[in-house]
Amino acid sequence: MIRSIGKTVFTAAAVAALLSAPAWLAPPAAADETCMSPYMAKITGQEDFVYVWTLGANGIGDESDKLVTIDVRPGSASYGKVVASLSVGGQNEAHHSGFTDDRRYLWAAGLDTSKIFIFDVHSDPAKPRLHKTIDDFVSKSGGVVGPHTTYALPGRMMITGLSNDKDHGGRTALVEYTNEGELVATHWMPTKDDPRGAEVGKVADGYGYDIRALPRRNVMITSSFTGWSNYMMDFGKMLADGEAMKRFGQTVAIWDLHTRQPRKVLDVPGAPLEIRFAWGPNHNYAFTTTALTSKIWLIHEDAKGEWQAEAVADVGDPSKIPLPVDISISYDDTELWVDSFMDGTVRVYDITDPFAPKEKYKKVIGKQLNMLSSSWDNKRKYFTSSLLARWDKRGDDNEQYFKAFDWNGSELVHKFSIDFTAEKLGRPHQMRFGAYSLYGKRADLPTKAEPVHHAAAKIE
Amino acid sequence: MRRLAPAVTATLFGILLGGPALAGDVDQRALDRVKAPPLGLPPVAIPAGDPVTAEKIALGRKLFFDRRLSHNGTISCAMCHVPEQGFTVNELATAVGIEGRTVRRNAPTVLNAGYQRSMFHDGRDTSLETQVLAPLVDRNEMGNPSLGYVIAVIKGLSDYAGRFEKAFGQPAAVAPLGRAIAAWERTLLAANSPFDRWHFGGDASAVSDAVKRGYALFSGKAGCTVCHTVEDDHALFTDHQFHATGIGYRNAYATSPDDPVRIQVAPGKYIVVKRRDLGPISEPPPADVGRYEVTLDPEDRWKYKTPSLRNVALTAPYMHDGSLATLRDVVTFYNVGGIPHPGLSPVIRPLGLSHAEIGDIVAFLESLTAGNIVELVNDARSIKVGNVGD
Ligand code: HEC
Ligand code: HEC
Repeated sequence: MIRSIGKTVFTAAAVAALLSAPAWLAPPAAADETCMSPYMAKITGQEDFVYVWTLGANGIGDESDKLVTIDVRPGSASYGKVVASLSVGGQNEAHHSGFTDDRRYLWAAGLDTSKIFIFDVHSDPAKPRLHKTIDDFVSKSGGVVGPHTTYALPGRMMITGLSNDKDHGGRTALVEYTNEGELVATHWMPTKDDPRGAEVGKVADGYGYDIRALPRRNVMITSSFTGWSNYMMDFGKMLADGEAMKRFGQTVAIWDLHTRQPRKVLDVPGAPLEIRFAWGPNHNYAFTTTALTSKIWLIHEDAKGEWQAEAVADVGDPSKIPLPVDISISYDDTELWVDSFMDGTVRVYDITDPFAPKEKYKKVIGKQLNMLSSSWDNKRKYFTSSLLARWDKRGDDNEQYFKAFDWNGSELVHKFSIDFTAEKLGRPHQMRFGAYSLYGKRADLPTKAEPVHHAAAKIE
Repeated sequence: MRRLAPAVTATLFGILLGGPALAGDVDQRALDRVKAPPLGLPPVAIPAGDPVTAEKIALGRKLFFDRRLSHNGTISCAMCHVPEQGFTVNELATAVGIEGRTVRRNAPTVLNAGYQRSMFHDGRDTSLETQVLAPLVDRNEMGNPSLGYVIAVIKGLSDYAGRFEKAFGQPAAVAPLGRAIAAWERTLLAANSPFDRWHFGGDASAVSDAVKRGYALFSGKAGCTVCHTVEDDHALFTDHQFHATGIGYRNAYATSPDDPVRIQVAPGKYIVVKRRDLGPISEPPPADVGRYEVTLDPEDRWKYKTPSLRNVALTAPYMHDGSLATLRDVVTFYNVGGIPHPGLSPVIRPLGLSHAEIGDIVAFLESLTAGNIVELVNDARSIKVGNVGD
């Protein structure tokens, strides 16, 4: 379906044009992973590197959080190898990361210390540098703790919080920064007490997690997880704590993208996490999964223009708490990939009918499984293992890996794995792709692999 | 009741939204409280040679809310003693410290802490002044490498310049740090509850008949006042002693990997697993032998300090491990005689209370919420939370 695998850079305007083109199913020179902001420049074809935002782990190497760069260029002498590792210092509960719209900088956040590390990925895509650290996020934002998703809007980064500095519970806000790292505004999540003009369902918990935008419909959607106390604590201790378990998100909020005003709060109990919008020009819907109740939810705009939430499928056997975590939608809106943590399994759903996802494939990737990144052409899939420092499994089940597979439409074919414990790196979490082509660059493939230098980040 | 009743919460927010009270005002009111404690409380003992002053109170409050006082700038005292949650945490059975580390016990309230004769559930510390220092360097709480390190951090923060000098006539140091926080904590006097207005104030209309019946049971048939004592002119509802109710014993011996664990996955939706299923995702639970850890006397195994019951409706969940969710659960626990074991306090025995009688005792416990709680929350929130970059 992908006609060209040449490398071109897409700007936001080009993506918009692409989306409105009738032949959207066959993008002329398609982009990379399918879960990014539509405002963002895209890689087409083969990605060169996968940047893995990695948690430092006690007793492993330098114990520090780090950005790990993996060479995924077929034919490269260092293919399947770590080519760079940059330690930022401390264990910040490294979690998600996202590029600015121009894709020159990667914002990687820490859920514990609320620090945001901004890496320059354009000067040398093979070797990101630390450009700037925001360490006053809580102070500047007026008390938001736990920056999670760093989502590109034009010239801006919209950052979802998970918690606050008053009680470390789940009430939180969206925090908007310029690409240069200056705070623009804090937009508090609507609550029952203070709906901020939103129409509220059964509850409005004011919790946050992920964010995605559908510019065409002037819509922004947020989901809801839990506060600092829960995401930081021992997983087993939390599950057994009846009070703690009452504090999980039950909502998805619909926002006006341009005014940043919450419009409606939908009931989605069970901790809805990642949000993925469909790409089709008439597909006014997104998917999310609820971690605790193991359901796939469709968030869709109905015929009256009202946004609604509907549970459309189960993930595995919900009574076993498989804990769906990361999800990924294919560029043609036919597949939804769902990773679940407890059973280490990826499941592929046929979502041709978004109201009736059907499981069509599943595979155990490891003893635990969290993130998943897909190439735009749906041919390459990358997986990592770590969920949260104190939620990861213990003992022998604590496998920490990066795994690369090819997807041939019916089967995952293993390409290579990197053992992050053996390599003394830590707990690999979120992945983002890098490519020379984004910056009009070309690099010759190395003819021999160089040993990794475990660099310490320093702002130059 | 997990949190403040909605009406109380609404009032709290209303007042908070009204803007912070003038700094001088709050300090003066705090001083006034110490001089004349609200109805139902005895005089506050002030350490000799260390009078409570407005400067000390203000400095102590600021330190209590400063997240920069933990090693990575994330945890203040107030993160585990949250004003809106009864100066404890309603959202957790047992506390969570720096980097999410496990704290094995439920955070007690710091309301009326000035009357405690020993600190912590096991009474291992002896004064508010020295208690302060423990969480600062506890690896699982605020995680600082040393007390000297904490003092150096404070000295490096420009917003503390001159503050210790003004309050104590000396630069920041370990002893004045403890004295400052203790000074503010001593002002957190929470009483003048409906019960106080009735029992000590003689206002018969201050409480319902259920409360009156509940108090008669509490001080009579149910025998609660043996430990949760009430004096003629005041009540702290504690004998300052240590007793075994059986909860500690049960946690040590009477659990099995086959025990069911009910996990709430959504409101009203539960999944039941076995304790052993949580093994692969749990660190081994820390042991807790209670008062014995301090005295090393086997007689003291699984004994815990009798907590004050003032404001108990605001401080759920209950007991040293937060294992009882509601006041009804607690009274029901006593009604069946606690958990029988060789060390069980002889006063704890099956009580034969009817359902209605349990309800009356709960009503009485709910009447212990201070009339000045909103004032205290406002006092606490008159200071901005201290964060990196301030
Ligand atoms: C990580 C959570 C946490 C932090 C941070 C914390 N506390 Fe506590 N606090 C607790 C717990 C839990 C206990 C009971 C511990 C025990 O019994 O072993 C406690 C006990 C106390 C007590 C004793 C009360 C009584 O009735 O015995 C006081 C007073 C107190 N804390 C004040 C403070 C101050 C002051 C700070 C900051 C310097 C602080 N706490 C920081 C959780 C915390
Ligand atoms: C033998 C002494 C004793 C008697 C009698 C007693 N208690 Fe207690 N009470 C305690 C102790 C000790 C604790 C703390 C136990 C722990 O932390 O595990 C406690 C805890 C409580 C708590 C929880 C407070 C909190 O903050 O967690 C409540 C409520 C309570 N008691 C009410 C009562 C009532 C009502 C009665 C009478 C039916 C009663 N108690 C009888 C000693 C006693």
